[in-house]
Amino acid sequence: MPLTGTIVVDENLCKACELCILNCPVQVIALDKSHITPRGFHPAALYKEGCTGCGTCAVVCPEAAITVYREKRPEKESKA
Amino acid sequence: MSRELWKGNEAIAEAAVRAGLQAYFGYPITPQTEALEYLSARLPELGRVFLQAESELGAINMVYGAACAGARTMTTTSSPGTSLMMEGLSYIAGTEVPMVLVDVVRGGPGLGNIAPAQGDYNQMVHGGGHGDYHPIVLAPASIQETIDTVYEMFDIADKYRTIGVVMVDGSIGQMMEPVTLPPMKEVRKIWPDWSASAAQGKRERNVLTSIYLDPKEEEITNLRLMKTWQQIEKNEVRYKEYFMDDAKFAVVGFGSAGRVALSAVRAARAEGIPVGLFRPISLNPFPRQKILEYTSKLSGFFVVEMNSGMMLDDVILASQSRIPVEYYGRMGGVMPFPDEILREIRLLHTNGWKTEGHPRDRWLAKLETIVKEEM
Repeated sequence: MPLTGTIVVDENLCKACELCILNCPVQVIALDKSHITPRGFHPAALYKEGCTGCGTCAVVCPEAAITVYREKRPEKESKA
Repeated sequence: MSRELWKGNEAIAEAAVRAGLQAYFGYPITPQTEALEYLSARLPELGRVFLQAESELGAINMVYGAACAGARTMTTTSSPGTSLMMEGLSYIAGTEVPMVLVDVVRGGPGLGNIAPAQGDYNQMVHGGGHGDYHPIVLAPASIQETIDTVYEMFDIADKYRTIGVVMVDGSIGQMMEPVTLPPMKEVRKIWPDWSASAAQGKRERNVLTSIYLDPKEEEITNLRLMKTWQQIEKNEVRYKEYFMDDAKFAVVGFGSAGRVALSAVRAARAEGIPVGLFRPISLNPFPRQKILEYTSKLSGFFVVEMNSGMMLDDVILASQSRIPVEYYGRMGGVMPFPDEILREIRLLHTNGWKTEGHPRDRWLAKLETIVKEEM
Protein backbone atom coordinates (compact mmCIF):
# COMPACT_ATOMS: atom_id res chain seq x y z
CA MET A 1 0.00 0.00 0.00
CA PRO A 2 1.56 3.34 -1.01
CA LEU A 3 1.99 6.10 1.52
CA THR A 4 -0.71 8.78 1.42
CA GLY A 5 -0.54 12.29 2.67
CA THR A 6 -1.99 15.74 2.16
CA ILE A 7 -0.82 19.33 2.53
CA VAL A 8 -2.48 22.44 3.96
CA VAL A 9 -1.22 25.79 2.65
CA ASP A 10 -1.55 28.87 4.87
CA GLU A 11 -3.06 31.42 2.49
CA ASN A 12 -1.81 34.37 4.48
CA LEU A 13 1.77 33.21 3.99
CA CYS A 14 1.95 31.62 0.52
CA LYS A 15 3.51 33.99 -2.05
CA ALA A 16 3.29 31.69 -5.07
CA CYS A 17 7.07 31.29 -5.43
CA GLU A 18 6.52 27.78 -6.86
CA LEU A 19 9.48 26.24 -5.00
CA CYS A 20 7.23 23.47 -3.65
CA ILE A 21 6.03 22.76 -7.19
CA LEU A 22 9.60 22.47 -8.48
CA ASN A 23 10.69 20.23 -5.63
CA CYS A 24 7.72 17.89 -5.28
CA PRO A 25 9.10 14.39 -6.10
CA VAL A 26 5.69 13.17 -7.29
CA GLN A 27 4.65 16.42 -9.05
CA VAL A 28 1.22 16.79 -7.50
CA ILE A 29 1.33 20.48 -6.53
CA ALA A 30 0.27 23.37 -8.76
CA LEU A 31 -0.93 26.95 -8.33
CA ASP A 32 -4.67 27.14 -7.83
CA LYS A 33 -5.60 29.63 -10.56
CA SER A 34 -9.26 29.65 -9.57
CA HIS A 35 -8.50 31.14 -6.18
CA ILE A 36 -6.82 34.30 -4.90
CA THR A 37 -5.36 34.78 -1.43
CA PRO A 38 -5.78 37.91 0.72
CA ARG A 39 -2.26 38.86 -0.34
CA GLY A 40 -3.21 38.62 -3.99
CA PHE A 41 -1.57 35.37 -5.13
CA HIS A 42 -2.80 32.13 -6.60
CA PRO A 43 -1.78 29.75 -3.79
CA ALA A 44 -0.05 26.41 -4.13
CA ALA A 45 -2.39 23.41 -3.78
CA LEU A 46 -2.60 19.70 -4.49
CA TYR A 47 -4.12 19.26 -7.92
CA LYS A 48 -4.14 15.47 -8.16
CA GLU A 49 -3.86 12.42 -5.97
CA GLY A 50 -0.53 10.84 -5.20
CA CYS A 51 0.88 12.92 -2.33
CA THR A 52 3.09 10.68 -0.23
CA GLY A 53 3.37 13.08 2.67
CA CYS A 54 7.15 13.14 2.25
CA GLY A 55 7.39 16.72 3.55
CA THR A 56 9.81 18.05 0.92
CA CYS A 57 7.48 20.94 0.07
CA ALA A 58 7.29 22.00 3.72
CA VAL A 59 11.07 21.95 3.98
CA VAL A 60 11.70 24.06 0.87
CA CYS A 61 8.89 26.55 1.56
CA PRO A 62 10.63 29.86 2.42
CA GLU A 63 7.52 31.17 4.17
CA ALA A 64 6.87 27.96 6.16
CA ALA A 65 3.36 28.08 4.77
CA ILE A 66 2.89 24.35 4.21
CA THR A 67 1.77 21.85 6.81
CA VAL A 68 2.04 18.17 5.82
CA TYR A 69 -0.30 15.48 7.10
CA ARG A 70 0.73 11.86 6.66
CA GLU A 71 -1.63 8.93 7.01
CA LYS A 72 -0.65 6.48 9.73
CA ARG A 73 0.67 3.14 8.47
CA PRO A 74 -1.40 0.17 9.57
CA GLU A 75 0.07 -1.82 12.44
CA LYS A 76 2.51 -4.53 11.30
CA GLU A 77 0.99 -7.98 10.75
CA SER A 78 3.68 -9.76 12.77
CA LYS A 79 2.26 -8.14 15.90
CA ALA A 80 -1.08 -9.86 15.51
CA MET B 1 -11.19 38.68 9.54
CA SER B 2 -8.29 39.41 11.84
CA ARG B 3 -7.36 42.84 13.09
CA GLU B 4 -3.86 44.02 12.25
CA LEU B 5 -1.80 47.06 13.17
CA TRP B 6 -1.20 49.13 10.04
CA LYS B 7 0.38 52.48 9.34
CA GLY B 8 -1.93 54.86 7.49
CA ASN B 9 0.10 55.25 4.30
CA GLU B 10 0.79 51.54 3.98
CA ALA B 11 -2.85 50.77 4.70
CA ILE B 12 -3.87 53.13 1.88
CA ALA B 13 -1.51 51.27 -0.46
CA GLU B 14 -2.70 47.81 0.59
CA ALA B 15 -6.36 48.85 0.32
CA ALA B 16 -5.67 50.00 -3.23
CA VAL B 17 -3.93 46.72 -4.08
CA ARG B 18 -6.92 44.80 -2.75
CA ALA B 19 -9.30 46.99 -4.74
CA GLY B 20 -7.57 45.79 -7.89
CA LEU B 21 -5.00 48.54 -8.49
CA GLN B 22 -3.14 47.66 -11.69
CA ALA B 23 -0.79 50.56 -12.19
CA TYR B 24 0.70 53.04 -9.76
CA PHE B 25 2.75 56.09 -10.62
CA GLY B 26 4.06 58.42 -7.98
CA TYR B 27 6.81 60.55 -6.60
CA PRO B 28 7.98 60.50 -2.97
CA ILE B 29 6.98 63.36 -0.71
CA THR B 30 6.64 63.38 3.08
CA PRO B 31 4.18 62.59 4.69
CA GLN B 32 3.03 60.23 1.92
CA THR B 33 6.24 58.39 0.98
CA GLU B 34 5.45 55.11 2.78
CA ALA B 35 2.56 54.46 0.38
CA LEU B 36 4.94 54.66 -2.58
CA GLU B 37 7.61 52.67 -0.77
CA TYR B 38 5.17 49.91 0.13
CA LEU B 39 3.82 49.65 -3.41
CA SER B 40 7.33 49.56 -4.89
CA ALA B 41 7.66 46.11 -3.28
CA ARG B 42 4.05 44.99 -3.37
CA LEU B 43 3.03 45.64 -6.98
CA PRO B 44 5.99 43.92 -8.72
CA GLU B 45 5.46 40.74 -6.65
CA LEU B 46 1.89 40.64 -7.98
CA GLY B 47 3.04 41.33 -11.53
CA ARG B 48 1.42 44.75 -11.63
CA VAL B 49 2.94 48.09 -12.61
CA PHE B 50 4.85 50.30 -10.21
CA LEU B 51 6.75 53.25 -11.57
CA GLN B 52 8.42 56.09 -9.73
CA ALA B 53 8.12 59.01 -12.09
CA GLU B 54 10.66 61.81 -12.47
CA SER B 55 8.28 64.29 -10.88
CA GLU B 56 4.64 64.71 -9.90
CA LEU B 57 3.98 66.11 -13.37
CA GLY B 58 5.27 62.89 -14.89
CA ALA B 59 3.33 60.77 -12.41
CA ILE B 60 -0.07 62.33 -13.06
CA ASN B 61 0.36 62.17 -16.83
CA MET B 62 1.37 58.51 -16.60
CA VAL B 63 -1.80 57.97 -14.57
CA TYR B 64 -3.69 59.77 -17.35
CA GLY B 65 -2.29 57.31 -19.87
CA ALA B 66 -2.99 54.24 -17.77
CA ALA B 67 -6.53 55.43 -17.08
CA CYS B 68 -7.14 55.94 -20.81
CA ALA B 69 -5.95 52.38 -21.40
CA GLY B 70 -8.65 51.26 -18.98
CA ALA B 71 -6.45 50.20 -16.07
CA ARG B 72 -7.30 50.76 -12.43
CA THR B 73 -4.75 53.40 -11.58
CA MET B 74 -3.86 55.78 -8.81
CA THR B 75 -1.26 58.12 -7.46
CA THR B 76 -0.54 59.41 -4.00
CA THR B 77 1.04 62.69 -3.09
CA SER B 78 1.10 65.51 -0.56
CA SER B 79 0.15 69.17 -0.86
CA PRO B 80 2.98 70.65 -3.01
CA GLY B 81 2.79 67.56 -5.23
CA THR B 82 -0.95 68.02 -5.66
CA SER B 83 -0.34 71.57 -6.86
CA LEU B 84 2.00 70.21 -9.53
CA MET B 85 -0.60 67.65 -10.58
CA MET B 86 -3.40 70.14 -11.18
CA GLU B 87 -2.89 70.43 -14.94
CA GLY B 88 -3.00 66.66 -15.35
CA LEU B 89 -6.09 66.40 -13.15
CA SER B 90 -7.93 68.90 -15.30
CA TYR B 91 -7.00 66.92 -18.43
CA ILE B 92 -8.16 63.69 -16.80
CA ALA B 93 -11.45 65.32 -15.85
CA GLY B 94 -11.86 66.66 -19.39
CA THR B 95 -11.17 63.25 -20.91
CA GLU B 96 -13.59 61.58 -18.49
CA VAL B 97 -11.38 58.74 -17.33
CA PRO B 98 -11.41 57.32 -13.79
CA MET B 99 -8.49 57.61 -11.40
CA VAL B 100 -7.88 57.80 -7.67
CA LEU B 101 -5.70 60.40 -6.02
CA VAL B 102 -4.74 60.23 -2.37
CA ASP B 103 -3.67 63.57 -1.00
CA VAL B 104 -1.93 63.37 2.38
CA VAL B 105 -2.11 67.04 3.30
CA ARG B 106 0.73 68.89 5.01
CA GLY B 107 1.26 72.45 6.22
CA GLY B 108 1.42 75.23 3.66
CA PRO B 109 1.43 77.39 1.59
CA GLY B 110 4.63 76.92 -0.37
CA LEU B 111 7.03 74.25 0.78
CA GLY B 112 5.43 74.66 4.20
CA ASN B 113 6.22 71.86 6.58
CA ILE B 114 5.49 68.15 6.96
CA ALA B 115 3.00 68.46 9.83
CA PRO B 116 -0.68 67.53 9.39
CA ALA B 117 -2.98 70.26 8.05
CA GLN B 118 -6.16 70.65 6.01
CA GLY B 119 -5.10 73.57 3.86
CA ASP B 120 -5.75 71.71 0.59
CA TYR B 121 -9.50 71.96 1.06
CA ASN B 122 -10.02 74.75 -1.46
CA GLN B 123 -7.52 73.27 -3.91
CA MET B 124 -9.23 69.88 -3.94
CA VAL B 125 -12.87 70.72 -3.33
CA HIS B 126 -13.17 73.90 -5.38
CA GLY B 127 -11.11 72.61 -8.28
CA GLY B 128 -7.56 73.81 -8.53
CA GLY B 129 -7.23 72.78 -12.15
CA HIS B 130 -8.72 74.88 -14.93
CA GLY B 131 -12.14 74.54 -16.47
CA ASP B 132 -15.52 73.25 -15.37
CA TYR B 133 -14.99 70.06 -13.46
CA HIS B 134 -15.69 68.64 -10.02
CA PRO B 135 -13.65 65.85 -8.45
CA ILE B 136 -15.24 63.66 -5.79
CA VAL B 137 -13.46 64.41 -2.51
CA LEU B 138 -13.84 62.16 0.51
CA ALA B 139 -12.13 62.90 3.83
CA PRO B 140 -11.97 59.95 6.23
CA ALA B 141 -10.97 60.41 9.87
CA SER B 142 -9.46 57.07 10.91
CA ILE B 143 -7.25 54.49 9.24
CA GLN B 144 -10.08 51.97 9.03
CA GLU B 145 -12.28 54.57 7.38
CA THR B 146 -9.41 55.51 5.06
CA ILE B 147 -9.01 51.88 3.97
CA ASP B 148 -12.73 51.52 3.31
CA THR B 149 -12.81 54.83 1.44
CA VAL B 150 -9.84 54.03 -0.81
CA TYR B 151 -11.22 50.54 -1.46
CA GLU B 152 -14.59 51.92 -2.48
CA MET B 153 -13.23 54.96 -4.29
CA PHE B 154 -12.00 52.88 -7.23
CA ASP B 155 -15.55 51.67 -7.86
CA ILE B 156 -17.01 55.15 -7.47
CA ALA B 157 -14.44 56.64 -9.86
CA ASP B 158 -15.16 53.86 -12.37
CA LYS B 159 -18.90 54.31 -12.07
CA TYR B 160 -18.85 58.02 -12.94
CA ARG B 161 -15.59 58.01 -14.93
CA THR B 162 -14.27 60.82 -12.78
CA ILE B 163 -11.48 61.77 -10.41
CA GLY B 164 -11.81 60.34 -6.92
CA VAL B 165 -9.78 62.15 -4.31
CA VAL B 166 -9.19 60.76 -0.84
CA MET B 167 -7.97 63.68 1.26
CA VAL B 168 -6.36 62.81 4.57
CA ASP B 169 -3.93 64.81 6.63
CA GLY B 170 -0.39 63.88 7.58
CA SER B 171 -1.39 62.48 10.96
CA ILE B 172 -3.60 59.80 9.38
CA GLY B 173 -0.83 58.95 6.94
CA GLN B 174 1.73 58.56 9.69
CA MET B 175 -0.09 56.98 12.62
CA MET B 176 -0.80 53.31 13.23
CA GLU B 177 -4.15 51.82 14.19
CA PRO B 178 -5.69 48.35 14.39
CA VAL B 179 -7.67 47.71 11.21
CA THR B 180 -9.46 44.98 9.31
CA LEU B 181 -8.36 44.76 5.71
CA PRO B 182 -10.93 44.13 2.97
CA PRO B 183 -10.85 40.98 0.81
CA MET B 184 -8.60 40.82 -2.25
CA LYS B 185 -10.30 41.55 -5.57
CA GLU B 186 -9.00 40.05 -8.77
CA VAL B 187 -7.57 42.50 -11.26
CA ARG B 188 -9.61 43.55 -14.23
CA LYS B 189 -9.22 41.17 -17.15
CA ILE B 190 -11.67 42.76 -19.59
CA TRP B 191 -10.95 46.37 -20.43
CA PRO B 192 -13.88 48.83 -20.22
CA ASP B 193 -15.62 49.41 -23.55
CA TRP B 194 -14.76 53.13 -23.57
CA SER B 195 -11.03 52.56 -23.10
CA ALA B 196 -8.31 52.96 -25.70
CA SER B 197 -7.29 49.31 -25.44
CA ALA B 198 -6.54 47.92 -28.86
CA ALA B 199 -9.78 47.61 -30.82
CA GLN B 200 -7.92 45.55 -33.46
CA GLY B 201 -10.76 46.05 -35.89
CA LYS B 202 -13.19 44.20 -33.68
CA ARG B 203 -15.09 47.33 -32.73
CA GLU B 204 -15.25 51.03 -33.45
CA ARG B 205 -12.14 52.91 -32.37
CA ASN B 206 -12.41 54.88 -29.14
CA VAL B 207 -11.03 58.38 -29.14
CA LEU B 208 -10.21 59.78 -25.71
CA THR B 209 -9.34 63.44 -25.68
CA SER B 210 -9.93 66.64 -23.78
CA ILE B 211 -9.67 68.95 -26.79
CA TYR B 212 -12.87 70.19 -28.41
CA LEU B 213 -11.98 73.07 -30.69
CA ASP B 214 -15.58 73.82 -31.54
CA PRO B 215 -17.00 75.71 -28.53
CA LYS B 216 -20.39 74.11 -29.10
CA GLU B 217 -18.84 70.66 -28.90
CA GLU B 218 -16.99 71.64 -25.72
CA GLU B 219 -20.24 72.90 -24.25
CA ILE B 220 -21.86 69.52 -24.91
CA THR B 221 -18.95 67.89 -23.07
CA ASN B 222 -19.31 70.33 -20.19
CA LEU B 223 -23.01 69.60 -20.07
CA ARG B 224 -22.30 65.88 -19.88
CA LEU B 225 -19.77 66.44 -17.08
CA MET B 226 -22.26 68.54 -15.14
CA LYS B 227 -25.01 65.94 -15.61
CA THR B 228 -22.68 63.32 -14.14
CA TRP B 229 -21.92 65.72 -11.33
CA GLN B 230 -25.63 66.09 -10.62
CA GLN B 231 -25.85 62.32 -10.28
CA ILE B 232 -22.85 62.30 -7.94
CA GLU B 233 -24.41 65.07 -5.82
CA LYS B 234 -27.53 62.96 -5.56
CA ASN B 235 -25.89 59.63 -4.73
CA GLU B 236 -22.53 60.14 -3.07
CA VAL B 237 -23.13 62.45 -0.11
CA ARG B 238 -21.64 60.95 3.05
CA TYR B 239 -21.42 62.23 6.61
CA LYS B 240 -21.41 60.98 10.18
CA GLU B 241 -23.37 62.34 13.11
CA TYR B 242 -22.49 62.05 16.78
CA PHE B 243 -24.87 63.06 19.61
CA MET B 244 -27.00 64.95 17.07
CA ASP B 245 -30.41 63.62 18.16
CA ASP B 246 -30.87 66.03 21.07
CA ALA B 247 -28.14 68.56 20.25
CA LYS B 248 -28.89 72.27 20.62
CA PHE B 249 -25.88 73.26 18.54
CA ALA B 250 -23.37 71.35 16.44
CA VAL B 251 -19.65 71.22 15.92
CA VAL B 252 -18.81 70.73 12.23
CA GLY B 253 -15.41 69.32 11.36
CA PHE B 254 -13.93 66.84 8.87
CA GLY B 255 -11.03 64.43 9.00
CA SER B 256 -8.67 64.67 11.94
CA ALA B 257 -10.18 67.98 13.08
CA GLY B 258 -13.54 66.21 13.31
CA ARG B 259 -11.94 63.45 15.32
CA VAL B 260 -10.32 65.90 17.76
CA ALA B 261 -13.66 67.69 17.98
CA LEU B 262 -15.34 64.40 18.88
CA SER B 263 -13.19 64.15 22.01
CA ALA B 264 -14.19 67.70 22.92
CA VAL B 265 -17.88 66.97 22.25
CA ARG B 266 -17.75 63.88 24.46
CA ALA B 267 -16.17 65.92 27.26
CA ALA B 268 -18.79 68.64 26.80
CA ARG B 269 -21.57 66.07 26.93
CA ALA B 270 -20.14 64.80 30.21
CA GLU B 271 -20.52 68.36 31.52
CA GLY B 272 -24.13 68.42 30.34
CA ILE B 273 -23.64 70.78 27.37
CA PRO B 274 -26.12 69.75 24.63
CA VAL B 275 -23.68 69.73 21.71
CA GLY B 276 -23.36 67.31 18.80
CA LEU B 277 -20.83 66.67 16.07
CA PHE B 278 -21.54 66.69 12.36
CA ARG B 279 -18.63 65.24 10.38
CA PRO B 280 -18.88 65.54 6.60
CA ILE B 281 -17.02 62.70 4.89
CA SER B 282 -17.82 63.77 1.35
CA LEU B 283 -16.43 67.30 1.06
CA ASN B 284 -17.38 67.34 -2.58
CA PRO B 285 -20.36 66.81 -2.92
CA PHE B 286 -20.80 68.73 0.32
CA PRO B 287 -23.77 67.64 2.50
CA ARG B 288 -25.54 70.95 1.82
CA GLN B 289 -29.04 69.62 2.21
CA LYS B 290 -28.33 68.16 5.64
CA ILE B 291 -26.72 71.39 6.87
CA LEU B 292 -29.75 73.34 5.65
CA GLU B 293 -32.11 70.93 7.42
CA TYR B 294 -30.23 71.40 10.68
CA THR B 295 -30.66 75.19 10.56
CA SER B 296 -34.28 74.75 11.67
CA LYS B 297 -33.26 72.55 14.62
CA LEU B 298 -30.07 74.11 15.93
CA SER B 299 -29.07 77.45 17.41
CA GLY B 300 -25.72 77.56 15.63
CA PHE B 301 -22.82 75.80 13.91
CA PHE B 302 -19.33 75.75 15.37
CA VAL B 303 -16.85 74.89 12.61
CA VAL B 304 -13.49 73.38 13.55
CA GLU B 305 -10.73 72.91 10.98
CA MET B 306 -6.98 72.76 10.58
CA ASN B 307 -6.84 75.64 8.12
CA SER B 308 -8.03 79.24 7.88
CA GLY B 309 -11.71 78.33 7.62
CA MET B 310 -12.07 76.94 4.11
CA MET B 311 -15.01 74.66 4.89
CA LEU B 312 -16.39 77.46 7.06
CA ASP B 313 -17.30 79.31 3.85
CA ASP B 314 -19.17 76.25 2.58
CA VAL B 315 -21.02 75.84 5.87
CA ILE B 316 -22.09 79.49 5.81
CA LEU B 317 -23.25 79.06 2.19
CA ALA B 318 -25.08 75.82 2.90
CA SER B 319 -26.77 77.19 6.03
CA GLN B 320 -27.83 80.24 3.99
CA SER B 321 -26.91 82.33 7.05
CA ARG B 322 -30.10 81.25 8.79
CA ILE B 323 -28.28 80.54 12.05
CA PRO B 324 -25.04 81.99 13.45
CA VAL B 325 -21.74 80.29 12.67
CA GLU B 326 -18.62 80.41 14.81
CA TYR B 327 -15.14 79.23 13.86
CA TYR B 328 -12.03 77.86 15.54
CA GLY B 329 -9.00 76.35 13.86
CA ARG B 330 -5.25 76.14 13.82
CA MET B 331 -3.07 76.61 10.75
CA GLY B 332 0.31 75.70 9.35
CA GLY B 333 0.51 72.17 10.73
CA VAL B 334 -0.60 72.87 14.31
CA MET B 335 -3.30 70.47 15.50
CA PRO B 336 -5.91 71.86 17.89
CA PHE B 337 -6.17 70.09 21.24
CA PRO B 338 -9.55 68.81 22.44
CA ASP B 339 -9.20 71.24 25.40
CA GLU B 340 -9.05 74.22 23.06
CA ILE B 341 -12.24 73.14 21.31
CA LEU B 342 -13.91 72.31 24.62
CA ARG B 343 -13.07 75.82 25.87
CA GLU B 344 -14.77 77.33 22.82
CA ILE B 345 -17.80 75.03 23.24
CA ARG B 346 -18.12 76.16 26.88
CA LEU B 347 -17.90 79.82 25.84
CA LEU B 348 -20.62 79.33 23.22
CA HIS B 349 -22.79 77.53 25.77
CA THR B 350 -22.49 80.23 28.44
CA ASN B 351 -22.07 83.44 26.40
CA GLY B 352 -24.27 82.60 23.43
CA TRP B 353 -23.70 83.36 19.75
CA LYS B 354 -22.28 86.51 18.19
CA THR B 355 -23.52 87.71 14.83
CA GLU B 356 -21.63 90.92 14.10
CA GLY B 357 -18.76 90.62 11.62
CA HIS B 358 -17.40 87.48 9.99
CA PRO B 359 -16.62 84.41 12.13
CA ARG B 360 -13.12 84.34 10.64
CA ASP B 361 -12.37 87.86 11.91
CA ARG B 362 -13.51 86.98 15.44
CA TRP B 363 -11.36 83.84 15.35
CA LEU B 364 -8.27 85.62 14.01
CA ALA B 365 -8.42 88.20 16.79
CA LYS B 366 -8.60 85.36 19.32
CA LEU B 367 -5.89 83.25 17.67
CA GLU B 368 -3.33 86.05 17.76
CA THR B 369 -3.27 86.09 21.56
CA ILE B 370 -3.33 82.27 21.75
CA VAL B 371 -0.33 81.97 19.44
CA LYS B 372 1.57 84.63 21.42
CA GLU B 373 0.85 82.84 24.69
CA GLU B 374 2.04 79.51 23.31
CA MET B 375 5.33 80.88 21.98
